[in-house]
Amino acid sequence: MGAAFKETKLPADAPKSRKALAWVDDRFPLSKLWQEQWGRYYAPKNFNVWYIFGSLAMLVLVIQIVTGIFLTMHYKPDSNLAFGSVEYIMKEVPWGWLVRYMHSTGASAFFIVVYLHMTRGLLYGSYRKPRELIWLFGFAIFLCLMAEAFFGYLLPWGQMSYWGAQVIVNLFGAIPFIGNDLSLWIRGDYVVSDATLNRFFAFHVIAIPLVLLGLVAAHLIALHEVGSNNPDGIEVKDNLGPDGHGVDTIPSHPYYTTKDFFGVSVFLLIYSSVVFFAPEMGGYFLEYNNFLPADSLKTPPHIAPTWYFTPFYSVLRATTSDFMWVVMAGLAAYVVFIWLRSRLSYTTKIAVTVLAVVLEIGMLPQVLDAKFWGVVLFGSAVIILSLLPWLDHSPVRSIRYRPGWHKTVYGVFFVAFLVLGYLGTQLPTPAYTLIAQLATLLYFSFFLLMPWWSTMGRFKPLPKRVTWTAH
Amino acid sequence: MSNEKQVDSGRRGLLVATCAAGGVVGVSTAGVLVSTLQPSERAKAAGAPVEVDISDVKPGELKVAEWRGKPVWILRRTPEMLASLKQNDALVADPDSDKSFQLDVPKYAKNEFRAYDKHKEVLVVVGICSHLGCSPSSRFQQGPQPNLPDDWHGGFLCPCHGSTFDLSGRVFKNKPAPVNLDVPPYMYLSDNKILIGKDEEKGEA
Amino acid sequence: MTLTKKLIALLALLPGFVFANEAGFPLDRAPERSDIASLQNGAKLFVNYCLNCHSASSMRYNRLRDLGLNEDQIKNNLLFSGEKVGDMMKIAMRPDDAKAWFGAVPPDLSVIARAKAGTGGTGADYLYTYLRTFYKDDTRPTGWNNMVVPNVAMPHVLWQLQGIRTAKMVKEADPHEHGKTVERFAGFEQVSPGSMSQPEFDTQVADLVAYMEWMAEPTRDLRKRLGAIVVLFLSLFAFLAWRLNASYWKDVK
Repeated sequence: MGAAFKETKLPADAPKSRKALAWVDDRFPLSKLWQEQWGRYYAPKNFNVWYIFGSLAMLVLVIQIVTGIFLTMHYKPDSNLAFGSVEYIMKEVPWGWLVRYMHSTGASAFFIVVYLHMTRGLLYGSYRKPRELIWLFGFAIFLCLMAEAFFGYLLPWGQMSYWGAQVIVNLFGAIPFIGNDLSLWIRGDYVVSDATLNRFFAFHVIAIPLVLLGLVAAHLIALHEVGSNNPDGIEVKDNLGPDGHGVDTIPSHPYYTTKDFFGVSVFLLIYSSVVFFAPEMGGYFLEYNNFLPADSLKTPPHIAPTWYFTPFYSVLRATTSDFMWVVMAGLAAYVVFIWLRSRLSYTTKIAVTVLAVVLEIGMLPQVLDAKFWGVVLFGSAVIILSLLPWLDHSPVRSIRYRPGWHKTVYGVFFVAFLVLGYLGTQLPTPAYTLIAQLATLLYFSFFLLMPWWSTMGRFKPLPKRVTWTAH
Repeated sequence: MSNEKQVDSGRRGLLVATCAAGGVVGVSTAGVLVSTLQPSERAKAAGAPVEVDISDVKPGELKVAEWRGKPVWILRRTPEMLASLKQNDALVADPDSDKSFQLDVPKYAKNEFRAYDKHKEVLVVVGICSHLGCSPSSRFQQGPQPNLPDDWHGGFLCPCHGSTFDLSGRVFKNKPAPVNLDVPPYMYLSDNKILIGKDEEKGEA
Repeated sequence: MTLTKKLIALLALLPGFVFANEAGFPLDRAPERSDIASLQNGAKLFVNYCLNCHSASSMRYNRLRDLGLNEDQIKNNLLFSGEKVGDMMKIAMRPDDAKAWFGAVPPDLSVIARAKAGTGGTGADYLYTYLRTFYKDDTRPTGWNNMVVPNVAMPHVLWQLQGIRTAKMVKEADPHEHGKTVERFAGFEQVSPGSMSQPEFDTQVADLVAYMEWMAEPTRDLRKRLGAIVVLFLSLFAFLAWRLNASYWKDVK
């Protein structure tokens, strides 16, 4: 039981709207929520363009949900009717074509925005203490987003939909002992079929969106609990003004309301240009093969996952049996490195060694094949992102105050990621596979060696006030 | 101080303009989404006018066609049936079909035969009771019968709540159904062929 | 250059999603055919030559009104076996029968022009080249083969218009393997003439292919016209939002 009910009394001539708001506020923390979450949420004033992507991600989520609702009014989740129902939406439902293009473009836009949002986190150390939980919730959102996209992609029931789903579900078949039964259970049938389509529909339309909404709420609550980071990576709450707020902070309303509004308008401009002038985006956003109805007897000559999965897909494909020797050597070298150079406790070092020995045995071709380890590396490439708060030991958060050569390290990482992404769209050749393997090594080294390289070099002194010029 | 006033009015102007532009974006998006609920081409095609051959409807017989998912009765009335209609004028609620149910009353229905002058024996009505939507059954036999008055001249009886209609589809007084059966827009393509769902006056329904 | 700008510059290097078609045959450019007369001609060719075996089941006959035809014109010229103008372009042939008679089910053509894009040209380029590179081949069940889809199950439906041609193959030294020979395609040879000259035939196929592109996305032109208005309006909106933001941020010290 809280405090006794206290009714707000306004003078009799107060406007009706204020009285109505007071009535609600007495019974529901409406104004309080507004002020705490946005109106009087004080944020650093030096946010740059990298800080728009969080708000944009929320906007795209809303766009996807709203367009998705209207698509669900006409789409039929039946393997005999699905493909036709999408054409029905495109040609027969008034404005259906526009809603469909908004949804397909929105899916790719979501990933572009989220990847850029994560990049901001990397550049400015937004995942560092005390913001690790924000990063973890964000990581969970990223996983859900990938699942949501994967389930959604089966729904049009085109050739890419079908065979992409078939391949990914068969990945689970690589898990020893339980793999085949697991794949059968996921599909609900011996191959991807109507049963699979219906359950993927349920996941895509309601199950994951609900989880996503919950995670986004948690992500924002965690953020507001500790306050936002900024491009200089300094703690703005360490320097409070007479009003109790950071001297380098401003209230989100009106300043970030208007700034985000502007950011949104630029985004909508780009987004609309794609929707109206290039919805297929050269086959990257709407794949050409998906205009062929699914044929369980004929695989298209070239299957590639949608562009946003290609970096991780590349890692999977790069893991050939030859490459496994490199992985084994790398793991052994890493363990040696941990013994010689880490400050972990003796017990932890022993535990790591034991684990490594088990893994090395597992990696022998007679034990578990490269297909399995490809799946493991594929998963690890995603999961390793969640470990960033504990891998980064740099004395400063932001890239601005790190040694100059750290920028090169980040650059190499980003290039490796983009190279992996590009290679994932192409047919594998021996040359491409070699490059993908190199890029995979660079990708994993960036993270696994971070506890060391992030402390090396001459760091620049942190400023007391944020870097900012009036505009 | 005057600078502040300028800033304020400049800012207010921009605020109004931006909100107005934003409003246009919002309203157009909402409009597009809401329009997707309108009948699709498939629904419109399914609701297209229907051609019916009435050469096989003998006097006294009823043929049922389907238009927009509803039963449409085509009744070729005998001369006796037509003659009995005048006797119902005082007993029906709306003898001149002034009131409409779901469809506007076409000009050619505003008479006691509720049919085209050239083909006054052919009745074309939507067989859906104007009370709550059941389809009435035929009761062409004259004279006293269960649920029907003693001076029954023939017509239709709705099984759901007992409403009765005469051989022109006009509802009798004091029945649950408030108005006459709908006459759909229709036209004669030839003496033996009608097109239900379209007439010359208003085109396609 | 800031890190941000460097990263944006990298994106410019990403090429589009283009693969050669399965045969690796270079595709001709389908001539531009956006006028109504060509599209109507294409519709006529499609209904007469293609709809016997192929369906276009998401295309409604009365959609041809968008090409300037009225319902009577559609009914009198383009409807055959008892279809109504509000029906979809379906066919009577059952897939099982088709498989037995042709060896493969003729695919539905509603969106084929979109499906065949990215194979060395646009979807129209693919279809344009495909329909014009059939040649006589007595080793095939239908007596026909095709350069774009080798060993295709479809016969040369338009042979009476194009006439009968054979493919000239010359033997050459294999550039990759010493001592071996490969066959190289060296053009077509007209064996008997069709009712049209090659240029006339090419024009007809161009119309047909343009119609198929239209059929795959009938709202394409509307989409672009609307897009121009939307982008223009959003540019104005972005400008206003920019100035509004600036008007508030000038107060921040």
